[in-house]
Amino acid sequence: MKEKLYPVHVALLIYILQTGVTLFSLPRLLAQHIGYNGWASLFIFSAIAIANILLIGLLHRVGKGKSIFVIIEQSLPKFIAFPLYSILIALWSLIGCLVMKQYVIIFQVFAFPGVHPMFIKALADFLAYALVIKGIYILSKAATNFFFVLFWLLLLLLFFVKEFHFINLTTFVFKDSSDLLMGGLGIYSAFLGYELSILLFPYAEKKGFVKAVITGNLLSTLTYLSVSFVSFGFYSIGQLRRIQFPIFDLLAYIQLPFIERIESLVFAIFLLSALIILSMYMWAAIEASRRIIPKANRKKYIALLFLIAYIVSWIPDTLHEVTRALRLLSFMEMGVAFGLPLFLLLLIIIQKGVKGRA
Amino acid sequence: MTSDNQQTTIPTLQHTLDNFKDCYDLVHHSLPDIQVDLVYFFHMIGHEEFDRDVITPLTEAGQPALQTLLKRSQYQLTLNSKHLIKGILEGSVAIFHNGDAYLVNVAKPATRPVQQSESETVISGPHDAFVEKAELNLSLIRSKLKSSHLKVIRLEVGEVTKNAVYILYIDGLANMDNVNELVNRIQLIETDSVYDNNMLLQYIDDAPNSVFPIFQSSERTDTAVSKLIGGRVLGILDGSPTVFSAPTSFFEFFTSPDDYYQLWPIGTATRLLRLVAIIITLSFTALYVSVTTFHYEMIPETLLLTLTESRSRVPFPPIYEALLMELTIELLREAGARLPSKIGQTIGIVGGIVIGQAAVQAGLTSNILIIAVASSAIASFVIPSYVMSASIRLIRFGLIFLAGILGNLGILMGIALILIHLSSLTSLKASYMTPLTPLNLSDWRDVFIRAPFWAMKRRPSQTRSPNMIENKMKK
Repeated sequence: MKEKLYPVHVALLIYILQTGVTLFSLPRLLAQHIGYNGWASLFIFSAIAIANILLIGLLHRVGKGKSIFVIIEQSLPKFIAFPLYSILIALWSLIGCLVMKQYVIIFQVFAFPGVHPMFIKALADFLAYALVIKGIYILSKAATNFFFVLFWLLLLLLFFVKEFHFINLTTFVFKDSSDLLMGGLGIYSAFLGYELSILLFPYAEKKGFVKAVITGNLLSTLTYLSVSFVSFGFYSIGQLRRIQFPIFDLLAYIQLPFIERIESLVFAIFLLSALIILSMYMWAAIEASRRIIPKANRKKYIALLFLIAYIVSWIPDTLHEVTRALRLLSFMEMGVAFGLPLFLLLLIIIQKGVKGRA
Repeated sequence: MTSDNQQTTIPTLQHTLDNFKDCYDLVHHSLPDIQVDLVYFFHMIGHEEFDRDVITPLTEAGQPALQTLLKRSQYQLTLNSKHLIKGILEGSVAIFHNGDAYLVNVAKPATRPVQQSESETVISGPHDAFVEKAELNLSLIRSKLKSSHLKVIRLEVGEVTKNAVYILYIDGLANMDNVNELVNRIQLIETDSVYDNNMLLQYIDDAPNSVFPIFQSSERTDTAVSKLIGGRVLGILDGSPTVFSAPTSFFEFFTSPDDYYQLWPIGTATRLLRLVAIIITLSFTALYVSVTTFHYEMIPETLLLTLTESRSRVPFPPIYEALLMELTIELLREAGARLPSKIGQTIGIVGGIVIGQAAVQAGLTSNILIIAVASSAIASFVIPSYVMSASIRLIRFGLIFLAGILGNLGILMGIALILIHLSSLTSLKASYMTPLTPLNLSDWRDVFIRAPFWAMKRRPSQTRSPNMIENKMKK
């Protein structure tokens, strides 16, 4: 019997995929673009993500758990399918690489400002390569193990119980927002990651798959909600709009007799999350590339893909450039998240129509 | 003489003596009045059993009744010279009479008595441990596990040493796929000799290049029986005082029989303490290196003054200081293990205190590092399994090195690499990180805590036992 991913591992994989570096700037984005009590808008964003997941679930049911590449190749000729795969390969591999690059550049705020970020990124890429070559089952096991290192960090929120003031929340809801559309899209990018579940169809157990993805999304929502809620109660709205990474300052507030200023340690622990994001997006790119060159030596072409993505990710130099590039790629990824399931559903309907007439 | 010849040759006295030519310890005892020749190793037989089962019956029976006597079941007629030679090597006496050859099992090789385990001590609970003789070990297990469902398979390893390996499992509790897989792996071993259980394990390992042990070994009889009851398969190698169980999970190496002999809150607290000890032993020294090299801001002001004063006289960067002290501790530990016990303990204590104090006074290291390194060393000995403790001590060096290069990020890169490696390991094709991956919350009751016995009714999921609920064994 072939090994299958259990629903609990799918849920934890999606959770780790979604909960990334954006968490550290999310309260600022909510304050800037949504306004007062912007944390409450996370329910709306989560609902949109769940709607997208249900669309993926519909595809899973209608397609009977078939791989999306099989669905595409049953309807489209190679000269159409391969360019589509190429776009997906480029998109996914760049997203993964730039997420890691963003992580490294932010980490250099605390340490190693003189070291070229691509050196540290190369080490992280090596770790991701070691993970990706082992396949999706080991990747999901590693994600579960990383989860048990990461989730304890939520307990740090208990340090802010005394300093939390409801008065900081004010009585206004979503007032004083700015650039709602683009800002909203930027906030929604924090929920991206669930769309890769579309590639897990042939690997996961069919029963409970959609529930698992929704559970992962809800866990992410809970994490974002608790962190944002505490931030809105700790800071005033004015402070929250001005601090680029409010969570760092929040963590700097924690003082214990034997340790303080733990933000560098906590952010270092988030390397595990960034690693899973990089690995999963690279794995997605590799799954697409296997359809184009199925006979190539697996380890070699994975290494080649990592190398190409690494070289391309050298282009944006500063945090601002990386953030801007990621923003653009995130918008494209949102298009893929909604568009790809719809496109595949259309293909299945056409396939069924053709079969019916035949 | 080729093995093919041995298989087809009828065993004769001359052929047997030729095979054992130049073996001074072989005895050829002739009884010409009854035309019987005896061949045996004098140090392998029990002399009481030899008199009782061989000499006395043969001499009392005399020539006429000898043929009838030799038809008794304890005298095994042997038609194969290879089998006869093997019997003599195992301590049987070969009896040659009228062209026939018989074997009588009177083996009683020297063995030490059952004693307390030196490496796995418990505060309360049974203290008997296995010895080198496999048959005695089997009797120790049978005396604790009185069930006809306990099955034993006999195999052999080592082309020259021909050590017996016994595979034990409880029929109805063990998954037969595990049994067959283990038997298959042992049968595929091609080597001249296997001296110890831990050596055998390296031949059948799922990941022989991994730094982590894949199968658990134990000297304790209660541990062995508990593994069998859990649905695992046990292996006993003749000549080794430890037995191994399979499949094994990573977390099993951090449990001790003591946990079950104490009240469950105390057992739980002890297990949680061990988890804390693992974190300390892995990361304490590495964190010291990371914080003192790259992340000084993490130290509170009051502690910072003490630390800078302590480090002010040290000319080396923290990584060199830490590696030097860690190496010293490892040298002391290894030397203490090799020296005779009377000297070893003294050297360990005096060496540790003197070297530590002298190093601080000489300015080679700081006081706080001594505390960090000593705490890490003590924490590593909290781990019940010596083999796992050694693996974790080795990994610690890697983390210290990474901390010295990349600070906190280096430590997390090391931890990520360790977790990735652990995620890919299997033990007899079952996931090594059970019950984390695959996630099984009911197993957590006997892994991260020690739940009350009424709450631990299921066998470990890793064993894939056909009978997962305890107390449901068919009589």
